[in-house]
Amino acid sequence: MRLPPLRWVVLPILLVPLAWLLFTGLGRDPRQIPSPLVGKPLPVLAGATLTGESFSSTSLLGTPFIVNAWASWCIPACVDEHPVLMDAASRYAGRLAVLGVLFQDTPDDARRFLVRYGDGGWPHLLDSSGRLAVELGVTGPPETFFVDADGIVIAKQIGPLTVETMAEYLADLGLSE
Amino acid sequence: MKGLALPVAAAALLALGALVALEVLRPTPALRPAEQAQQIAALLRCPDCQALSVAESHTAAAGAIREQIGELLAQGRNADEIRQHFVDRYGEWILLAPSAAFAWWLPVVVVLAAVVGLLAWLLVGRRPRPAATEPSAAPPTTADRQRIRDEIERLDA
Repeated sequence: MRLPPLRWVVLPILLVPLAWLLFTGLGRDPRQIPSPLVGKPLPVLAGATLTGESFSSTSLLGTPFIVNAWASWCIPACVDEHPVLMDAASRYAGRLAVLGVLFQDTPDDARRFLVRYGDGGWPHLLDSSGRLAVELGVTGPPETFFVDADGIVIAKQIGPLTVETMAEYLADLGLSE
Repeated sequence: MKGLALPVAAAALLALGALVALEVLRPTPALRPAEQAQQIAALLRCPDCQALSVAESHTAAAGAIREQIGELLAQGRNADEIRQHFVDRYGEWILLAPSAAFAWWLPVVVVLAAVVGLLAWLLVGRRPRPAATEPSAAPPTTADRQRIRDEIERLDA
């Protein structure tokens, strides 16, 4: 029996792993970053708020809540998303809390944003040092975390929420009409 | 020229092997905390920019991460623990160098396979081949020659 020429052995050895790497690697969406926080307790987010009070996310435990990292310069995504958050906050008032975390923004700009697009009344942590963004693994606003009553992160949305995606995430938290 | 292929290939392999050995065996000097922080930051991806490391970027997030690296080092955590600290928050995505051992071995395996392939090719290539028994091509017939002339004329026209 004649052995096949060596190139038919060497070529697959070189090409098959390369093809596999390209196939699996290029098939992924580089913007889809799975959050390692999902399924784990939300890190404690504490600090000064836009209204000058001090606030800690531990005070939210007991009801499901949403943590929304946003910025006034995040246009149009944060502007588009804002009414969706406002709607959910008012619709599930008492059963759902919302916490805003400013991402690389100034308090003045953030206040102007809320005056212009509506203030839902929930607290916004300032995060001037960027530490909270690191704790949450935020890469760019808007990013939203859905947290159950025990403080476990159930889901993370990167990019603006729509009415439909919001309804799906809230259903995961046991909130639906 | 053919007689030179094997010595040249052998010399190239030896040089490659020596380089790899030098790189692997080179002792790593103890680093000062600032250098260590710089080294860790250089292998973390800046979260809010494209294709820059935390060490190179001037964004707020990169600054916050650099600050945290300094604090964690001061707490006596080692480089692996600090990298894990950020992986726990951002995921493997934050690492500019993969942590899976597989990713480091694959290129070595590929290079070794290539070396084996090259050696085998050189050795097999040196074995005398049986002489060809048939002429490579029959000379063109008169009709073929005429056709070639016609085609060339058509091309020139």
